[in-house]
Amino acid sequence: MTDPFVFPPWVDRLRPLAGVLLVVAPTYLVALAYYGGSPQTTDVGYRPEQPVAYSHVLHAGELGIDCRYCHVNAETSAHVLVPPSPTCMNCHTRIAPDSAKLLPIRQSAATGEPVPWVRVHDLPDYVYFNHSAHVARGVGCVACHGRVDRMEQVTQVERLSMGWCLECHRNPEPHLRPQELITKMDWSPAGDPSLGARLRKQNNLNPSTDCSTCHR
Amino acid sequence: MSSVNGLPGSNDSGIASARRVAQSLRDPELHALLEAEFPAADDPGGVSRRRWLQVMGASLMLGAAGGCRWKKEEILPLASQPPRRLPGEFQRFATARDIAGSALGLRVTSVDGRPIKIEGNPRHPQSLGATDAWTQASILELYDPDRSGSVLQRTGAEAMEQTWPKFLEFLRPQLAAIGKTQGAGLAVLSEASSSPTLAALRDRLLKAYPQAKWHEYEPLSHDNEREGARLAFGEPVRTHLALEKARVIVCLDADPLGVHPAAVRYARDFAKGRDPEAGPMNRLYVVEPCPTITGSVADHRLALRCGEVAWFARALHAAVVQGLGSKAEAATESGPDESPTAFVRAVAKDLKTHGAHVVVIAGPRQAPEVHALVHEINAALGSVGHVVAYTADPEPNRPRHVAAISSLVADMQAGKVQMLVMLGGNPVYDAPADLRFAEAMTKVPARLHLSPYDNETSLLCSWHLPRSHYLESWGDARGYDGTYSIIQPLIAPLHDSRTALELLALLAGEEKATGYDLVRVTFKELAGPEWETKWGSCLESGLLAGSAWPAASPRLVRETPPGDPGPQPGDGLPGPEQTEIVFCPGSGVYDGRFANNAWLQEMPDPMTKLTWDNAAWMSPATAKALGVDHGTLVRVNCGGREVEIPAYVMPGQAPGTVAVALGYGRAAAGKVGGDAGREVPPVGVDVYPLRTARALHFAADATVTPTGKPYALATTQEHHAIDAAAAAARGRRIGELVREFTLAEYEEESKRDPQFARHAGHLPELESLWEEPKYEGRRWGLTIDLSKCTGCGACMVACQAENNVPVVGKERVLRGRQMHWIRVDRYYRGEGESPRVVQQVVMCHHCENAPCEQVCPVAATVHSKEGLNDMVYNRCVGTRYCSNNCPYKVRRFNFFNYRKDLEEPENEVLKMVYNPEVTIRSRGVMEKCTYCVQRIQAAKIEAKNRREPIRDGQVLTACQQACPAGAIVFGDLGFRDDRGEPSLVAKLRRSARAYEMLAELNVKPRTSYLARIRNPNPELEG
Repeated sequence: MTDPFVFPPWVDRLRPLAGVLLVVAPTYLVALAYYGGSPQTTDVGYRPEQPVAYSHVLHAGELGIDCRYCHVNAETSAHVLVPPSPTCMNCHTRIAPDSAKLLPIRQSAATGEPVPWVRVHDLPDYVYFNHSAHVARGVGCVACHGRVDRMEQVTQVERLSMGWCLECHRNPEPHLRPQELITKMDWSPAGDPSLGARLRKQNNLNPSTDCSTCHR
Repeated sequence: MSSVNGLPGSNDSGIASARRVAQSLRDPELHALLEAEFPAADDPGGVSRRRWLQVMGASLMLGAAGGCRWKKEEILPLASQPPRRLPGEFQRFATARDIAGSALGLRVTSVDGRPIKIEGNPRHPQSLGATDAWTQASILELYDPDRSGSVLQRTGAEAMEQTWPKFLEFLRPQLAAIGKTQGAGLAVLSEASSSPTLAALRDRLLKAYPQAKWHEYEPLSHDNEREGARLAFGEPVRTHLALEKARVIVCLDADPLGVHPAAVRYARDFAKGRDPEAGPMNRLYVVEPCPTITGSVADHRLALRCGEVAWFARALHAAVVQGLGSKAEAATESGPDESPTAFVRAVAKDLKTHGAHVVVIAGPRQAPEVHALVHEINAALGSVGHVVAYTADPEPNRPRHVAAISSLVADMQAGKVQMLVMLGGNPVYDAPADLRFAEAMTKVPARLHLSPYDNETSLLCSWHLPRSHYLESWGDARGYDGTYSIIQPLIAPLHDSRTALELLALLAGEEKATGYDLVRVTFKELAGPEWETKWGSCLESGLLAGSAWPAASPRLVRETPPGDPGPQPGDGLPGPEQTEIVFCPGSGVYDGRFANNAWLQEMPDPMTKLTWDNAAWMSPATAKALGVDHGTLVRVNCGGREVEIPAYVMPGQAPGTVAVALGYGRAAAGKVGGDAGREVPPVGVDVYPLRTARALHFAADATVTPTGKPYALATTQEHHAIDAAAAAARGRRIGELVREFTLAEYEEESKRDPQFARHAGHLPELESLWEEPKYEGRRWGLTIDLSKCTGCGACMVACQAENNVPVVGKERVLRGRQMHWIRVDRYYRGEGESPRVVQQVVMCHHCENAPCEQVCPVAATVHSKEGLNDMVYNRCVGTRYCSNNCPYKVRRFNFFNYRKDLEEPENEVLKMVYNPEVTIRSRGVMEKCTYCVQRIQAAKIEAKNRREPIRDGQVLTACQQACPAGAIVFGDLGFRDDRGEPSLVAKLRRSARAYEMLAELNVKPRTSYLARIRNPNPELEG
């Protein structure tokens, strides 16, 4: 009779496996934590449900409305306006005035209560990010926000982590474009690889990597 | 150049006094309390370890399941965008603030609809862009959770919450009854106010109710000045000084740079005459009983008892008006004390040799006769028209404040008052004690009190009416010079409150009138044609152009005023029963109205560096004669009334006098200043019980008896001591921290060596262990002019407001844990009872070779390319090595989470005071001055957005902007404008007076000091 408290003999064959597990398991856990917790995994692709099914594909893409029609102060302010409801009503008093989708906007315009949009691009509170400091220096919308004109629902496409910020602050040239093309989503410096360097020199752009540039 | 001594006085008693504070800490109970770092954490209470692990494990699991992303955030765009209002963008609006009847023009910064920072209005002649500490701190008062939020009706001790409509229901029949008797029985007690609208409403009220009485009372009144002018000219004129034109200034118990309605402007004008590079220097003589800000910058200071200043004025009058060598001069010669007489002679001679560019100033404590004498002296010297100008008094027929409140009390006692309306003020607390105001007031059936706080007076009133803060109000005010400003609101009232104007309108039967309407009616009359256009420009610029009072030229009505000559300075000390008690305004709390402002309570007094307390100042000799030790309680008895107050041994205090600050010991101020109702002990000691209508300013017959009981005084002077005395204690020699020269030395030395101040300290051959960083492009730097700095403390509070610096409270100040990024060190120079005082502002020096950076194990403090010593809060783990290695001791550590109180729901409103551009630091993090890096970044981004360079003077640090004297200059040391001109700060750094503190350590500080230059009279200084 075999003692129920003694491992059966076939267990002995698993002993080398335990050694392998000892190496693999911690590696797996570290890798899991690293990739699982990285902004690439947690933040990229963040696509919250918005209170109004506003389509950038339609407005920015097909209709070709410039970003700055709604986001008025993108080039001049630290924080950019999400448009107040009257901006929507400029057109929608005539276009689709009775659409059910626009009900929250009409209500907001009538009552003065804001529409509770959900923030997609959310930086930590200890980061003092200034929107104008980037847009007014020739960094296009697409550089951080991606092809918004192809997004039915706005999605975060970049990591927005400190490492990602620093990549550009250390080497801004690939992301620079002429100021007048700032909102052009499909523009690329094709055929002119030295444009970035020229723009940088012309506008005297020396992005700082000092801590107090963003943290104070 | 002689040496500088650090601790209170180089004399023995001073050093003994410093130690006595530490000894009092040996009181076992207090010590135990202070020792327990986390008293609340001693007993963790009911939860068992097992249960705790279970709960924590479960919440960890839940947290992990909830995902790694932080909280979902919403963006709520304004449903309709007000013009020019953008989220997160700073907006600036001009407004004004009236304190005790004089206005300061302001420009207030607002973000997302909430005001967060107050600056002076550069266009306003009383401000020129600067402010005082009180005004800086008034933003905290706006968001004070203790401000009263609703109308209260009291019957006995019971308070019932009411509303304004309910109050109106009460008021209407009362007014109807009073109207039948033409207003007999109605009395109004108002604070001093410069508002033309208030005056117009008062006139309308008195027209509607001709029998009604209007009284005005201020506990710290300038009535003596008015009455002095009445004696001299037959009419009460207001005196204005052009201090920038004065070559010799004599202050008789006056503090024009500290406590004066025009102090902010006067400090700037005075500082213009303290720069030897810019032109001839002025010379300041101060004769005063207790050390003041003005006294600390004097070239010669004579400590006289308050009652002896009249003797001095008379002697000076005799020497100046009747001429040297006359009979009066002979009388002066026979004066009992050699030193004051010699002082008078030297001052008189100096005044006469400088022609018309001189001025003598008397202070509000001195009797009208002294002011009359001063007017005559100024007239005889010819300074009227040059330095001195007069304007007509705006309210020539107003009775004296003390007479007004006395007559009100008499009326109330006689039962003649049916309804008493109090517009602000706190007479139950601050009326002269012998009037027994509270007792008389209870005889009035209807007692109405409009007040921002439910204070001592409100508690005894039948109706308490919440008053709006000036940042919530429409109103108007006039500066000391008469300049008219509109007070415009930055925010809608946070509570159900009204202004004094709106309440008066209710009384006058104009129930529908809003503050806005009332002010516009006045403005229309004042501005004349095209008033609508002027209204707009007045709101924008903050003042009505050309509205200052026109100059008056009153004529002296008589030659020599009679009156009691007053006591002469005697030999030695008076008897213990004849100690003179002098009342002065609290440096933070003024007359008590700012008692619930934590910033002002924690702002160290400029002279004692005392926080969260007042004390009885006495000179070392007086203390010795009375047998009093520093930091022990004494009993001060004055006419049978007695208070117990800690003693502070104060070099420079006149012998035989005791000075006490008013405004402390509040019983119903709030959670900060003391509230008996909520068992919050008062801050400091109330000395109003010693003050009588006859002796408002000083009394000569006080008795001081020691009790021997120790008392812990939280003074910051001995904290962070880095001077020679402190270094000697650590067995090390250091160079001169405060460098001071006479004008003659400066003139001689600067010719010999254009960098003589820098070379006045020992500078060894310096070699660095480290690779020294090279700086190209912008190099931020700062200079502080010790010749101009008065040590007033405005910079400290401005820094606190700008940089979200927490307050820590008395117990932690006692442990040296105050958080101010700026400190003002006080040094005594010279020996004896009355040494000279030098104030030195110290903040982070942003060393190029920063010792803090070299020891930080986590690189939480690192250098920027522009030379700023950055502090990265997220990296800081709180080793405090940096603070240890900082030679200037300017780093401050968050020993606790000083924001914990923000988590309480009733403090929600307090969150609105914080500057959103600066991180709120938490526990365990080091912090320090950043040179206002948020302002630098904002200016850099804005300039580059416009493709323009940053102009010199475009970036102002908060301390620089607030400084009334203009002593702080900040800028780019490498700056060159189009014409190749360097920045002002670069020029100052190359001045002959410039030096760096502790340069011998090779830390290469970016902050420089400009040596203090004194201009002594050779006759008085051998």
